[in-house]
Amino acid sequence: MLLKKITYTNRRLHIHIGLLLVLFIWLFSISGLLLNHGDWKFASFWEQRKQTKTITSIHIPSGLDSTQIIKNILLQLNISGEVNNVKMNADSVDFSVSYPGHVNNIHTDYKKSICVQNQLSYNIWGKLRTLHTFNGANKNNASTAPNWLLTRVWRFSMDGIAIGLIFLSVSSWIMWYKIRQDYAWGYFAHLVGFLTAIYFVILLRS
Amino acid sequence: MKKYYPSIRALHLYFGLLISPLVLIFCISVLVLNHTDYINNRYPIQNLPVTKTHIDKIPYDTSDLQTAKNIIKKLGVKGEIDFIFQNDSQISFPVLLPGFTTSIKIDKQTNDVLITRKEEGAFRATNFLHKMPGPHNAKLRGNSFFMQNWKLLADGVVYLLLFLSASGIFLWYFLKVERKLGWVSILVGIILFTGLLFFLLT
Repeated sequence: MLLKKITYTNRRLHIHIGLLLVLFIWLFSISGLLLNHGDWKFASFWEQRKQTKTITSIHIPSGLDSTQIIKNILLQLNISGEVNNVKMNADSVDFSVSYPGHVNNIHTDYKKSICVQNQLSYNIWGKLRTLHTFNGANKNNASTAPNWLLTRVWRFSMDGIAIGLIFLSVSSWIMWYKIRQDYAWGYFAHLVGFLTAIYFVILLRS
Repeated sequence: MKKYYPSIRALHLYFGLLISPLVLIFCISVLVLNHTDYINNRYPIQNLPVTKTHIDKIPYDTSDLQTAKNIIKKLGVKGEIDFIFQNDSQISFPVLLPGFTTSIKIDKQTNDVLITRKEEGAFRATNFLHKMPGPHNAKLRGNSFFMQNWKLLADGVVYLLLFLSASGIFLWYFLKVERKLGWVSILVGIILFTGLLFFLLT
């Protein structure tokens, strides 16, 4: 009785989690294809990028630490995003602020009290590509956590989608196991899939 | 449309079973990529002992890639050759496998070879596979047999995943008992998706 209830709930969850995630699956599938096929002409983004340069006068109060200085600059420029590539100098600071499809490289000169913004904006294909990889990870320092709330939310969503897909995979095995006699080729499909995965993840390097 | 139900159901089931272990690779790697710090602390990369050897002659060829291919053949190293660096005094390049990196450095004057190896483990192997072939180093990418196969497989998994999601909607639509709640699931998905994208892109 309990087993019947579990398999019934498993099937329902498979259906509804699948329906809930369908748009996310399409987004990450299409953006994954774009990342693997940079030669697809229709989806070129780098050549179509828009570049703008803005110079703004700015005042940096003295006595602030590096984090406070960057926060202050962002506040004065009224911009937000994931901050990275910070380079602090005695009389200037360089950093970039990004969100999917947009990068703003900022140079602030304390002495001249000016801020130079070099902005890059991508088209829809560029936005899709950056959504796929936008997790706030710092290649040079893995211990750095994302510093923008929306990066954290998006990264949390990525984790959720991955866990959801793991559930869809495992639940499909349970669903098939129940009807395995009617779908005997499932043994073969499952075996081929598992052997392929084991070959790439484990056997290739042994 | 309902006459297609049995065949779509069978295809959904078989393709799902076939690609589910590969989907797991992509999903686990997302967690690895998003939580690198945890993986680094729990499963540190193991640097294996450095090997010093010598080759009688550098097997130069028509291109840097071909030369690197000849070198790894001579040294008995297998994998995907990545960025090749060459100047007057040395040739160096990494050779990649999922979860294992070999770095080769050859002194052009003495033909001495320095080989360093890193065992990165299964989690980083999924990470590597997720990123491959990827947008970088496109001219060089796919120079090994396994990478050519993985390239096809990664595409195949994505196309089948698109088929599975579309066929899943088809199959759900004919399940009358799940239709109402299914619409709610789709609606919640649309709200979450558009909401997140709106805040992220604007």
